[in-house]
Amino acid sequence: MEAMELDSEDNLQRKQCLYQSLDESFAIRKEMYRGQQYSQIYFARLHLMRTLLYSLLPNWKPHLPVCTVLELEEGKECIIVGTLYKHMKLKPSILDEYSKERSATPLVKPHNFMHPDDDLVLEDESGRVKLAGTVLIPSIYVTGIVVAVQGKETVGGDFLVEDVLEAGLPHQEEQPLESGEDKYVVFVSGLSVGSSSSNPLQFQLLVDHITGHLGDEMEQRVAAEIVQVVIAGNSVEVPHGLLNGQNLASKDQSRLSEPIKELDILLTQIAASVPLDIMPGLNDPANFALPQQPLHRCLFPGSSAYNTFRSCTNPHSFELDNIRFLGTSGQNIDDLEKYSDAKDKLDIMERTLRWRHIAPTAPNTLAFLCG
Amino acid sequence: MASSSTAAGGGNMKGYFRQRKKTGGITKSNSNSKSKKSSSPDHSATLASDIAKPSSLISHASLDLQDDYDGNEEVLRQFDMNMAYGPCLGMSRLDRWDRANALGLNPPKDVERLLRVGKLHSECLWDGRV
Repeated sequence: MEAMELDSEDNLQRKQCLYQSLDESFAIRKEMYRGQQYSQIYFARLHLMRTLLYSLLPNWKPHLPVCTVLELEEGKECIIVGTLYKHMKLKPSILDEYSKERSATPLVKPHNFMHPDDDLVLEDESGRVKLAGTVLIPSIYVTGIVVAVQGKETVGGDFLVEDVLEAGLPHQEEQPLESGEDKYVVFVSGLSVGSSSSNPLQFQLLVDHITGHLGDEMEQRVAAEIVQVVIAGNSVEVPHGLLNGQNLASKDQSRLSEPIKELDILLTQIAASVPLDIMPGLNDPANFALPQQPLHRCLFPGSSAYNTFRSCTNPHSFELDNIRFLGTSGQNIDDLEKYSDAKDKLDIMERTLRWRHIAPTAPNTLAFLCG
Repeated sequence: MASSSTAAGGGNMKGYFRQRKKTGGITKSNSNSKSKKSSSPDHSATLASDIAKPSSLISHASLDLQDDYDGNEEVLRQFDMNMAYGPCLGMSRLDRWDRANALGLNPPKDVERLLRVGKLHSECLWDGRV
């Protein structure tokens, strides 16, 4: 058996990557919630997306006129561009608490608020019009998407949709294919350190694999090709029983901070060997509304000593070797899942790409701090 | 009917309320009455009667008729009301101008000049009123 030497001749080196963070637009500097109106967000969104859609219209149906909602005439074939609003019967409304009688609506399912009677309305600055027809299926769409629809106004005042155009996938730059070099980014999420279901051995196994302490040389070669680790939210689960607003005894206070300390120990091991980005998620100690601000450095006394450790916003965007990444900790997809129908979450993620908007339901049903 | 409320008396409360003979019309009771409502048109505030502004209340101040409204403010208000640049509530005027500029809407340059020089209201005309 060969003796294991610490400094063997072929010491494997980890691959390197040029990293650039693109998070400035997600950082909240001095903005505060001053009771802002959502109309500003919707105006900006409509304007930017409409400009984009207008540029796509000549390739779609160049012969038809484009008009605003107020300019619609009965029977005239035209295209209108606006924000979709999905009227949902089962959408929870704060006003239901004050209604005298709970009407005959079925019990609200907490996971999905869809109903066969949902309908879509298209709105722009001049007005709104109800969308009719079978082309636009309400179960796929949600409030907040900007689309172009082609059709005509009916006698009843609805707009009969014959075709719909989404913003579609943006232009992809050609990436030069470099020979041979494979580099990997590891995405982890839902570690939930501190919850009853989390297994510290599993996390340790992951850490060992990433840092190259696992396996033979083949395995270590694979691990050496990992250039970035991104932890996408829900890394800790704080015991909820302690969070009821009462003053905490000192032993409860230490129980509150145990999960974060445990996470920090493991993250230190990762940060010592590979660049690490950590994003806040729904259960993490960060602000509730998107964009969530980075977890504070003081939470990670061990890891933040390394310059490879970066605490990032949610959503997070960065560039590695000229390839842009954009991701969230999932609150936007979870919200979309509650208000639309899809085979699986990957389907929803694809739709956000086609709609060119990662969180169309913000600020309607997804908490969002507008700047 | 001549009004007698031009504070002829010093601290006399009766000077604040127009006295009327009991035989004529609806009488206003004496100064203990706190009711401001009056059915006689001569007492109504629409005639800008002096009852509405007893002179002692305005003796040390000027009438608030001007309301900071001049030509420049009018230009800015027209900018606020213009729907092409989006809703005006919830943003400062300069932010809204910057956003309109960034979106390529070509907002008027004199509005920018007025806002950057900066003696005028930075918030829209509805600010604090809705």
